[in-house]
Amino acid sequence: MRRTHGRLRLRSKRSIALIALGAAASLALSGCVSAVQQSGSSNGDPVKGGTLHIVQAADIQPATLFSQNNPNFSVSRTVFNYLVDYDHKTLKPQPELATSWKQSADGRTLTFELRKGVTYHDGRAFTAADVVGSLKAVQRPDVASQVKSIAAQIDTMETPNDHEVTIHFKIAMSNVMDLFLMMPIIDPAHLDELLTGKDFNGTGPFKVEKYSPGQGLTLVKNTAYWKKGQPYLAGVDIQVVRDSQSMLSSLKAGQSDLALDLAPLDASTLKDAPGYQLVLSDANDSVQYIGSNVTVPLLSDKRVRQAISYAIDRNRIVTQVDGGVGTPTSLPWAQSSPAYDKALVNHFSRDIDKSKQLLSEAGATGQSVNVYYDSGFAPNVGIAEIVQFDLTAAGLKPSLVPLQASDFLDKLRNGGFDGMFLTGHGFGQLNPATLLKGAFPFNADKNASSFNSPDYKALANEVWQTNGVPSDATLSKVNNFLLDQQFVSDLVLTTHTYGITSKLKGLSETMLDYVDLDSAYLQK
Amino acid sequence: MVRYVLRRLPSAIVVLLIASVVIFFILRLAPGDPAASLAGPDASEATIQAIRHKLGLDEPLVTQYVIWLRGIVTGNPGDSYILHAPIAQLVGESLLNTVELALGALVLALLGGSLIGYLLGVVRARWAQTLLSGLTSLGIAVPTYVSGVLLILVFGVTWRVLPPGGIGPGFSDFALGWQYLLMPAIVLSLPTGATIARFLASSMRQTLDQDFIQTGIAKGLRRRRLMLGHVVPNSLPPVLTILGIQIGQLLGGAIIVETIFAWPGVGQLLLQAVTGRDYLLTQDLLLIAVLVFIVVQLVTDIIDAALDPRIRLERA
Repeated sequence: MRRTHGRLRLRSKRSIALIALGAAASLALSGCVSAVQQSGSSNGDPVKGGTLHIVQAADIQPATLFSQNNPNFSVSRTVFNYLVDYDHKTLKPQPELATSWKQSADGRTLTFELRKGVTYHDGRAFTAADVVGSLKAVQRPDVASQVKSIAAQIDTMETPNDHEVTIHFKIAMSNVMDLFLMMPIIDPAHLDELLTGKDFNGTGPFKVEKYSPGQGLTLVKNTAYWKKGQPYLAGVDIQVVRDSQSMLSSLKAGQSDLALDLAPLDASTLKDAPGYQLVLSDANDSVQYIGSNVTVPLLSDKRVRQAISYAIDRNRIVTQVDGGVGTPTSLPWAQSSPAYDKALVNHFSRDIDKSKQLLSEAGATGQSVNVYYDSGFAPNVGIAEIVQFDLTAAGLKPSLVPLQASDFLDKLRNGGFDGMFLTGHGFGQLNPATLLKGAFPFNADKNASSFNSPDYKALANEVWQTNGVPSDATLSKVNNFLLDQQFVSDLVLTTHTYGITSKLKGLSETMLDYVDLDSAYLQK
Repeated sequence: MVRYVLRRLPSAIVVLLIASVVIFFILRLAPGDPAASLAGPDASEATIQAIRHKLGLDEPLVTQYVIWLRGIVTGNPGDSYILHAPIAQLVGESLLNTVELALGALVLALLGGSLIGYLLGVVRARWAQTLLSGLTSLGIAVPTYVSGVLLILVFGVTWRVLPPGGIGPGFSDFALGWQYLLMPAIVLSLPTGATIARFLASSMRQTLDQDFIQTGIAKGLRRRRLMLGHVVPNSLPPVLTILGIQIGQLLGGAIIVETIFAWPGVGQLLLQAVTGRDYLLTQDLLLIAVLVFIVVQLVTDIIDAALDPRIRLERA
């Protein structure tokens, strides 16, 4: 029973006055210094100077700087240089730290002339010995790289003088230049410190002033950079913002100028937004695919794998999941690849009747299959749902199995999926041998699908061990083989995206999608 | 009091030891491999094996456990597998950030929760009760990832009066630092503040029905003295107990809030450690979480005893 409440009324006017006082105090405080204004106005002169603020979803991974690994895109080409870059349309090597090169007639010897006057961030001169040291780093067992198979073929290396290096290979390889495209020129004396993020001594346009593991980096201009007058920016601030929407908010609030790899649907909101741009990398090196473990009885029949490929609505993935960024594909190659064949790109257009017929012929109609995916990567969830819908329509009983990234990666590497797996791959934009020998889903020697075929190995070696670009006939054989076997069903050829504010100018990227800020500046 | 704390110490150590075993072995049972995460995509098996050997992950599990425990006891927990920095430094920096966020949230939750709870306890007007109850229900029901995104959209993106994320200069430049802190602290404080409000209101209603309050009124005590001197203090023990639990939940909730606001605290560090299967760092962070729970419960018990002589007598 309540007895006293009626007498204990609040003196509401006084309370309201107190609350109003508190609110007034808050407003007064908010007038002191604006964190937002400070963040936006610290950029200084728009052409020379200013700090570029980058947000990205994951911290850099120094241990994988010799691989193409998305979290490192912001530092790979800003802190380091490479011997060559590629023309994005023709794959013709372009000079970087190497000014020229010549290959022997048998394709087994490469001689590089090196740029003079290049210094490391610590002031030391760059020499031919640093190229040798960088190559030895790629060969080290605990250093990961997709072009390790090329480095493993090095026989001897010679440095006749400080600006020339000659490399003898045991065999001729069609993708040999991919090694020099992907290998950063590091300071060999500090390799262990580099791999553990303790020393980033490079020759790139910016040097690392501070690295806070898990949080981000502060880069400052390398005033002794070999490109005279560049870079224009005084510094770069890289912040780790794990949530894509938060990255987008940071961009829209003016707190950052460049957001790397926003989730596709977040990125698509920038397309028509005034003051912002969605920049698409022209390397087109990302392909979303669904793989099949061919040791699983249901998936051991290639007709079932083909039926799956016919069932999936690739256009729907492009529009509903990728926000219109990307094109449907049935093969792993980007337009820049010598293996790209426009006539075969849409080989597996959606055809449910054909899919049903193939499943019926294989006696697979009504059978269950697991579809694994890395749930931490936003597009995978949407693609998995479309795949489930389409496979059900074709007559299979798919079950979606979301996994954490590390679990997914572990199973991918060990062929541990007892069904299908949904993820992405790169390397379709380079020389075809790099995909067939280095990218895990397609690696002929060991791959995630446990696809072990002497024919495929022979084909891969034929593409790889060639002096120069493989013949059209060989590449055609590869394409027809991949389309026929379908241990990997490529779905959408897409690309990395950069969400930027309109004041950021001169941004470009390498053939591996590494951010290139040599010519970047912030306009007023 | 000192004797009471000393009596609790052995059981706390046992709990920590059991927790260390559970944390270590459950983590090893979870699928995933730190060496594979470290090697990155497309790495060969030989590379992964080389990294595994370098990290000591090819040692027997018991050896790994003993090495880990020895590291903690000797004050040298080693380096993070993925971030490569000393764990003590990583944890120290992120813990400070989380404490800053949690303290900010706690202050807001205490202020807001106490005010609303007090009003709920004393105001009888139906509309006011409905309004205040509705506010507390919203505070509890709306997930932090919704309230966080809404606040960012309104104050960070549309009005641009507060930064949408990041930590800023912190306490080193408080005039700027508080602006970074305000939104995440408000979001984190909402569920805790609402819970405090509800418990305080309920406890105050019970206290108001007690005979000693009637006696106070009959003696002609002034309203303010009656409320602040008798009703509120006697209503606090259950609120403090729930506050102890809420502090734990506050730290748990920080994981989401830190992610939304890019606040580099323990939550973000733990998320990174777990997703990368950074065993050492994950183990240390989880053990610290257990330790924090134990300490918070101990402190809550001590404050309870200090406030309520009956509890002191019971425990004596």
